[in-house]
Amino acid sequence: MSSSASLISQKLLQGRNFSSPEFTLDQCIKCTICTTACPVAAVTDLFPGPKYEGPQAARFRVPKQVSPDHSVDYCSGCRVCNLVCPSGVKIAELNARARAAWVSSGNLPFRLRLRNNLLARPELLGKLAHPFSPLANRLLSLNSIRHFTEFALRIHHSAPLPRFSPQSFTSWFRSRPNPLSSAKKVVYFHGCSTEYYEPRVGRAAVQVLELNGFEVIVPPQNCCGLPLLSNGEFHAAHRYHHSNVNHLVEYARQGIPILGTSTSCTLTLKEEAPELLDMTDEATRLVAENTYDFNEFLLNLYDQGSLNLNLHPIPLILGYHVPCQYRAHRLGTPGFELLNLIPGLSIVDSHATCCGIAGTYGYKAEKYAISMAVGKPLFNFLTGDLKNSPVVVCDSETCRWQITHATGKPAIHPVELLAKSYGLTIEDALI
Amino acid sequence: MKRIHTDILVIGGGATGTSVLRDLAMRGFRCLLVERRDLAYGTTGRYHGLLHSGARYAVKDPQAARECFEENQVLRRIMPQCIEDTGGFYVLTPFDDPAYVPQFLNGCRNAGIPVEDISIYNMLAEEPLLDPRIQGCFHLPDASADSFLAANLTAESAREHGAEVLTYHEVDRLLIANNSDSGQSIVAGAVCHDLIKNEDVQIDASLVVNACGAWAGKIAFTAGIHLIMIPGKGTMLALNHRLVNTVISRCRPPSDGDILVPAHTVAVIGTTDVRVADPDHLSIESWEIRLMVDEGEKIIPGFKQHRILRAWAGVRPLIQGADPSDDRDISRAFVLLDHAERDGVEGLLTISGGKWTTSRKMAQVTVDKVCQKLKVDRPCRTHLEVLPSHERKSAAHPFLGDRLKKIEQNSTYGELICECELVSMQDVEQSIIASNAATLDDIRRATRLGMGPCQGTFCTFRAAGLLQSLRHLEADQVNLSLRDFLHERWKGNLPILSGQQLRQARFNELVYVNVLNAPGLPGDRISRLAADDYSRSDTDAPAPPRADISPTVIPVPLAQSEPQDVIVIGAGFSGLITAWQAGLRGSKTTVLTRGWGTPYWSSGCIDIIGFHPPDHVETADSPREILTRLVISSPNHPYSLAGIAALESAIQSFQALCDASNYPFHGSLDANILLPTSLGTLRPTCMVPSTMVSGDASQHSPMLIVGFDRFYDFFPGLIASNLNAQGILAADIILDLPSLRKLKFITGTVLATLFDDPTFRQEVIDALKPRLGKVERIGFPAVLGLHSPMEVLEHLQTSLGLRLFEIPGLPPSIPGIRLQNMLVAAIQRQHGVVYTGMPVTKVSFDGKSIHSVWSEAAARQTPHHAKTFILATGGILGGGISVADNAYAQETVFDLQVTTPEHRFDWFQPEFLAPQGHPIFRIGVSTDAEFCPLDDTGGIIYFNLHVVGNALANCDPLRERSLEGIALASGFRVAELIAERSQQ
Repeated sequence: MSSSASLISQKLLQGRNFSSPEFTLDQCIKCTICTTACPVAAVTDLFPGPKYEGPQAARFRVPKQVSPDHSVDYCSGCRVCNLVCPSGVKIAELNARARAAWVSSGNLPFRLRLRNNLLARPELLGKLAHPFSPLANRLLSLNSIRHFTEFALRIHHSAPLPRFSPQSFTSWFRSRPNPLSSAKKVVYFHGCSTEYYEPRVGRAAVQVLELNGFEVIVPPQNCCGLPLLSNGEFHAAHRYHHSNVNHLVEYARQGIPILGTSTSCTLTLKEEAPELLDMTDEATRLVAENTYDFNEFLLNLYDQGSLNLNLHPIPLILGYHVPCQYRAHRLGTPGFELLNLIPGLSIVDSHATCCGIAGTYGYKAEKYAISMAVGKPLFNFLTGDLKNSPVVVCDSETCRWQITHATGKPAIHPVELLAKSYGLTIEDALI
Repeated sequence: MKRIHTDILVIGGGATGTSVLRDLAMRGFRCLLVERRDLAYGTTGRYHGLLHSGARYAVKDPQAARECFEENQVLRRIMPQCIEDTGGFYVLTPFDDPAYVPQFLNGCRNAGIPVEDISIYNMLAEEPLLDPRIQGCFHLPDASADSFLAANLTAESAREHGAEVLTYHEVDRLLIANNSDSGQSIVAGAVCHDLIKNEDVQIDASLVVNACGAWAGKIAFTAGIHLIMIPGKGTMLALNHRLVNTVISRCRPPSDGDILVPAHTVAVIGTTDVRVADPDHLSIESWEIRLMVDEGEKIIPGFKQHRILRAWAGVRPLIQGADPSDDRDISRAFVLLDHAERDGVEGLLTISGGKWTTSRKMAQVTVDKVCQKLKVDRPCRTHLEVLPSHERKSAAHPFLGDRLKKIEQNSTYGELICECELVSMQDVEQSIIASNAATLDDIRRATRLGMGPCQGTFCTFRAAGLLQSLRHLEADQVNLSLRDFLHERWKGNLPILSGQQLRQARFNELVYVNVLNAPGLPGDRISRLAADDYSRSDTDAPAPPRADISPTVIPVPLAQSEPQDVIVIGAGFSGLITAWQAGLRGSKTTVLTRGWGTPYWSSGCIDIIGFHPPDHVETADSPREILTRLVISSPNHPYSLAGIAALESAIQSFQALCDASNYPFHGSLDANILLPTSLGTLRPTCMVPSTMVSGDASQHSPMLIVGFDRFYDFFPGLIASNLNAQGILAADIILDLPSLRKLKFITGTVLATLFDDPTFRQEVIDALKPRLGKVERIGFPAVLGLHSPMEVLEHLQTSLGLRLFEIPGLPPSIPGIRLQNMLVAAIQRQHGVVYTGMPVTKVSFDGKSIHSVWSEAAARQTPHHAKTFILATGGILGGGISVADNAYAQETVFDLQVTTPEHRFDWFQPEFLAPQGHPIFRIGVSTDAEFCPLDDTGGIIYFNLHVVGNALANCDPLRERSLEGIALASGFRVAELIAERSQQ
């Protein structure tokens, strides 16, 4: 054997990943905690639960045989199972991979696959609809159109579709006057929702960062690919992530932190994409290690004593929901801690596991009811004692839309409160 | 004595015996087979399940190679439902001699076995886990075979042709008659013992075929025939999942540990070859396990890190012909002996040797001989006719996902009895009713029940319940079967227990000993039908000396914000109790945990001490009395460190919390209460919630046990029969409710959620009320509401007019979850937080003071700075202590000192249910009276770290029934100490 071949073998050996989801299934002691905690299995008998779908069914799946299971498609990917497992089994990842195998083996009916691919491409939808946003918004608010899309595409007519914003985040960012230049730099990963639907969140984020003395860089970027991952479209997700890594890795090499206000985008950059797609290269790792959730970053600043604490009181009692995708960062509750720095503001944690929407899950006609049932404890919390609070605080965009849809209350990202407390004026602010 | 007449008697229900029986029957002979246990109980059910291509013998034993290949082709034709066509790779690893390859290829060619050269690239594409340094790979027509199914179907086919099969008939001796003409001895049948009915049976036959493998010598000896067997023991290991989907063999002369077979959901590596004196007395040596794992590593790098499920040993059935030095050198081709020719004894043939792959051929040769002896000419047809298949309409090759597919197609995931191996209620029912399974082990062989990762945690209980409800057996018989099965699973675990499988064993102990109190089952402990044990070797090497590994240390991080007061690591009972108690005293507390823990699995009662230590045989009437003695006799026991006063205050505080949470607890340190379990045993506990208190077994009022149709975690019949056997009057009933009928699965959680809903309760009341009979109290599974149990209890009691109680059983424990929710809510009210999914893996310290701990997070780790740290990660069960396969035990967060019994031999009792408990589970961290961890010189390791609960040494909370009590006592005391220190 030539020495180059043996070098390749050595590399292959080192590439073996003993923390891969398949490897962790050996850790399962069948204790049933995951299934007991699963918010989906609690409300529907179409989903037998994470223990069955993950470590159990995984032993019956063979790469080359057609994946026979379809109930795994009812996993919402909320990762509650991962967080409660006492043995460290990566159940949600096992499920995501099983779904990908199921989808790629052509088990999903064409119409549903088309639907999933549409839902999983918010960036494409944004790009297409953005120039005609008033018309698009008008059309999508028509009941008849929504019923038709449900009939044609199985997108539930009541599901909370966001409204396209007339101005995209990046066009605002490029055109705004007097951007701050500084030796302290951060990269902002805006994600699709800030770009096309809620640019106010990005505007708040940029201004809060500048107020803290950071120059904000917004490099070219694309969708993080999470919607594709959670719909089992791994090939497309791989392309997306690969492209993002290429856009971001130079900043990571220079040690410039990459921040995001969308908790699911940052989680995808940090962990989901590298892990699910087996991307173990150095660039992917560097980007992952330099990516921060926005609140996490600010709280680190606070810990280091460098956060601008010139905060004005906001005398409100507000309900706060930690999205399941945010919990999956395993950071505790940095949003909660950050908001507690604002004088006069009283934040009440919902302690609810999941709002139910789980990215694209709750949009699907066959899953809409499940999604609303999963979110019920949260909705009850927000419409109970807190019914008079003007807004709800929540870190993740689709969760905010779901909350607004279910409770009628506007929902904002913590950075919007922070911006208000700093006295910043944010265009289209909800508070 | 009962007498049975047949023409030809076959002894032995393995592959050879059943094949002989089938061949006889197909050629029109009246025949009968006896087997001392179940079919495939012996070597057939204990080999690695390989359908040989013959290549293994191609160099050394061309005859065997050719036979194997021919039979390989025949079996694929006649039993496709038993053979998964995985194909086989012969791989040349860097450890093998390349000079063997030409010989190997030549041998295969000569034997007519097709070989195909595979590129390493393609090999890795097929089997990515294989070592990329492998230098050569050849594809051969090996396959994976289900020997249990094959034996059963072969017997089934024989039955269809008129043969008879008697299992659990152990041959005592051959019947010898004398030929009056020649004076020659004639074998005229056999005397058997029917193990089930416990009676002797005489079977008269004109010809006996001795096909009992390694036991053939023993049988022949009863006819005075001297037959030297060379029992060669082979040990095998099953790994938790397949690893490979192709049979992998090393391309080298056959040796130990060089075959890896994907068999159903597991991968089997084998085997060793050790000559043993007696096939009934085998031991599995630790060197064999090590050797197999080391050899596995040469095929799959990282093999050691995969979970091993169990070990077992089979015995090769070889008859001594030549005088070989090593068993593998004997021809693996088989031997047929006509004892008339060899020993002058008429009427007896012995067929032995060979391999599973050649068993049909062996039968053919044997029956040819029978025909010759009986002077008839009937051609063999066994190679022409396909075996019957009860599973499938058309016999088809199985594939791994079949079971999953079947369940998914019909959405029958709610009918699973064995969740690991996807064995459904219908499968178990079929094996009990149609196949007449006598024991749980018989059900296992028919269905793979209990053969998955957990080794029977749920399915043992469920199958026992089904056995009782379908067969209406005496309580004793079901109990024995359950015990036997737990023990049978245990014996295969003993040689390999470490890591996660050791944790699994502890989990099973929690379920069967702590919660279900299986050692307290009424009836016999000794069973005629039990599987035999492996002997235990005491030549075990001592555990290696403790390696000097320090925890991963990270420099103290900069932080300007105020440290937390207390960080608790772990959220089982002890972690939550300590956090709550510290919060009560004004500390700001954060709980960091990998996941949830003990409350989900516990009985939901507060156990203080249930049995007299150290034997745990005699029930403790008064915990206080035992504790008073314990603190003197065992000064290092956690109770002794905390003191009884702390325990008493902790209980008061706990009761106050329960009252405030509208979930009152009853009882005191002065007396234990005996409560029924889901097995119908009685379990001593100290404090019980209002939802259970009416189950008190010291009261004599009769009870009705209520279950729900399709809820397989609760069998009222099993409970009632065991309670009645203990003199407690109990009746049973199963409710079939319309609102449950439409559900695809019914679990404890589903029922608890339903019980929270008044409309469902009304449905229960309406169904139950007319059927109450003359009972004074009603026992339900412990599912009476998750959120408002008192409201549920009151509603049901008022409407039914009787007292109600819950009976705890299999996890998840609804009463335990109520306690967890109550404690978490209390912590949150005190502005504490509980973070799950954040296991602590690293630590920063400054001399003897811990500065921060680091928890795992996406992409990086997160530091947590605090003044005081609490280690509440539990013992082996909680994951706080792990024991590696080299017997090195480690406390998993701080690598604190833990000590194991010196010899691995001393870690376990031979019986799973032995009340004394297994010494390894007393492992834990030694502390001073302030629960600060100590090093081996008795010095404090960290001043600001306290250890609570199951992580503590010198106790076995599951056996003592002290789990919650130790958590309360140590948690309360530590919280008290933290408060005292902060005041100083």
